[in-house]
Amino acid sequence: MKSGRNPTSPRRHRRRDFLKVAGGAFAVGAFAALPYRARAADQVNIGALYPVTGSMAQIGQGCVNAAKLAAQMVNDAGGIKSLGGAKLNLIVSDVQSDPTVTRTETDRLINGYQLAAIHGCFASALTLIASEVAERAKVPLLTGSSSDQLNQNRHYTFTPFARASQFAQAQLQMSKLISDKPKVAVVFENTAFGTSTSNGLKEKAPGEGVEIVLFEPYSAGFADAGPLINKVKASGADMLFSVSYLNDLILIVRAIKQTGLKIALNGGSGGFVIPDFYKSVGPLTEGLLGVAHWNHDCNADAQKVNEVYKKTYGEFLFEYAGGLVAQTFMIADALERAASTDPQKVRDAIAALDVSSGYAAMGPGGKVKFGPDGKNIYAHPVGVQWQSGDLASVFPKDDARASLMKS
Amino acid sequence: MLETLAQAVINGLLIGGIYALVSIGVTLIFGVVKIVNFAQGEFVMLGMYISFFLATYFGIDPLLSLAVSMPVMFLVGVLLQHFLIRRVLGLGDMPQIFLTFALSLFLMNVALLLFTANYRTVDTPYSDSALYLGPLYFPVAKLIAFVLAMTLSGVLWLFLHATDLGKAMRAAAQKPEVAMLMGINPDRVFCVAVGISLALAGAAGSLLMPFYPASPMAGQTFVLMAFVAVVLGTLGNVKGALIASLMMGVAESLGIQFVGADSGLIVVFLMLLLTLAFRPSGLAGGAMR
Repeated sequence: MKSGRNPTSPRRHRRRDFLKVAGGAFAVGAFAALPYRARAADQVNIGALYPVTGSMAQIGQGCVNAAKLAAQMVNDAGGIKSLGGAKLNLIVSDVQSDPTVTRTETDRLINGYQLAAIHGCFASALTLIASEVAERAKVPLLTGSSSDQLNQNRHYTFTPFARASQFAQAQLQMSKLISDKPKVAVVFENTAFGTSTSNGLKEKAPGEGVEIVLFEPYSAGFADAGPLINKVKASGADMLFSVSYLNDLILIVRAIKQTGLKIALNGGSGGFVIPDFYKSVGPLTEGLLGVAHWNHDCNADAQKVNEVYKKTYGEFLFEYAGGLVAQTFMIADALERAASTDPQKVRDAIAALDVSSGYAAMGPGGKVKFGPDGKNIYAHPVGVQWQSGDLASVFPKDDARASLMKS
Repeated sequence: MLETLAQAVINGLLIGGIYALVSIGVTLIFGVVKIVNFAQGEFVMLGMYISFFLATYFGIDPLLSLAVSMPVMFLVGVLLQHFLIRRVLGLGDMPQIFLTFALSLFLMNVALLLFTANYRTVDTPYSDSALYLGPLYFPVAKLIAFVLAMTLSGVLWLFLHATDLGKAMRAAAQKPEVAMLMGINPDRVFCVAVGISLALAGAAGSLLMPFYPASPMAGQTFVLMAFVAVVLGTLGNVKGALIASLMMGVAESLGIQFVGADSGLIVVFLMLLLTLAFRPSGLAGGAMR
């Protein structure tokens, strides 16, 4: 995993000069075994920081799989042409779902490998730290993490996808799919995560014309969701926002079905929109709503990548993994224009990025252009619905790829 | 309003049936063997996994798998008593507490290792259906669980009162020395008591499976309520534990409905505090009934 050659060695330059003179790259291919080839051709080191062990391991591994697939795609298409067909060389590091490890690993990668750019780390808590280190070292970092903090006082951090602050708004707007004057019940576990998320929803609700008829904290780990759902039923809500971890969510979904209550359920983002959710919950997921910063049905390019990924790994390309395939192509686009692996030049090229087609632009909005705060000005979340074990985009209208299934 | 109240009581009674199976198991072991089994929740969890795997790999309905989970857990109980609990009897409270507490941690972590932390669910045709009675509804899976839980409790009561072995068990619980003088073998009686207790935990696991996700920590949710019920209904008293469990289910449900969804347990614990303050020996009073 952590292999990769040190491209700063003088040998590499001699070899490059030799190849230029001889113009015989094909000869290398003919003579050398596979690992030797990577050494011989010019390459660009890209850091990939993901948690492949620890509590987030499963998602982190999916991210690494997608990162490898994306680098392979760039390389198969001829690499970076302005750099003489240089290949992307992915330097993967396991940040172990741990902030301290993230700090040292980001440092180690930057100091050891002359990275042109970095992408990572899935979890906002980890990305914030990696971003700090990258800022200090002046290496550009792209991330799909949604924390708005990543856009504050940073010059080397770029966020191509929707921000956390946009998610609550999208979730509220989605309730209009159910009725013109939606009555929303918010139930949330009484922890920091549940409270802050649901307070965000509560604050924005009046502005979106959404009435919150029940705002109910509950203590996580109950034996029976019946009483809670009885309360939701009594509130007369037609839409339920549940800010919950998996166990409680399963009980809530079951209790709704048992009550025969006609209510749409929006579970938000994160763990709600990954294949594992379907694996745990099964057919009960049918019709549940969520929000994501990326979905695999957004356009033909995304669907193509999804097919390849699905064939290899047996599950659909989830939100974060799909987004980072697009990020890899954004980096490739910047390298192409910078015609250099110097992180400063790559950073400037990313800042000047303006794409509306190809793999780099696949995502809600279909365009990428960064504002001064590193935010993609076109980014917005997409509303998704579980339909037959797959996630379908249903909101907003421009991004909808399937019609909403009403419960 | 009345309808909401009635529904809250129904919800509480139904889940109270499950609490009852767990707490009767705890109280039975306490009444007969005189130890507190902190691992009771983990045996519920094992029962859940037995049903989960039978349902997933052999397509056996979780309710039918009662026929497997109960005997298997009975056997586990007999072995547990014979090889572990028997060795710490008479050594004072501490070794007993440590034994069952360690067992709880051990089983949880073994489950984590073998089954991972993922939540496992089983889908049955009745998992998400309900019977309707006017505006009220009875979730079928919970209703079945409740009825079977009550039936099992009734069978246990009959066993304790109408069979020789049951009477021997109550005798051993009340005065072990006298029971021995009457020719009762306490070792054998203890084995059966722990076996029955674990079989009830296994039954609770199987009955939960159609509507509750299995995970290594699943037992913890129920064991806390079980302990409260056992104290509330007088330690060692089977009937008391049953009634207290149902009361607690209802109290929790009403608490969620009328106080707040994060306050259901507050009502339950308030009940416990008041009981301990005014009737320290529990609502039922006497011992093994």
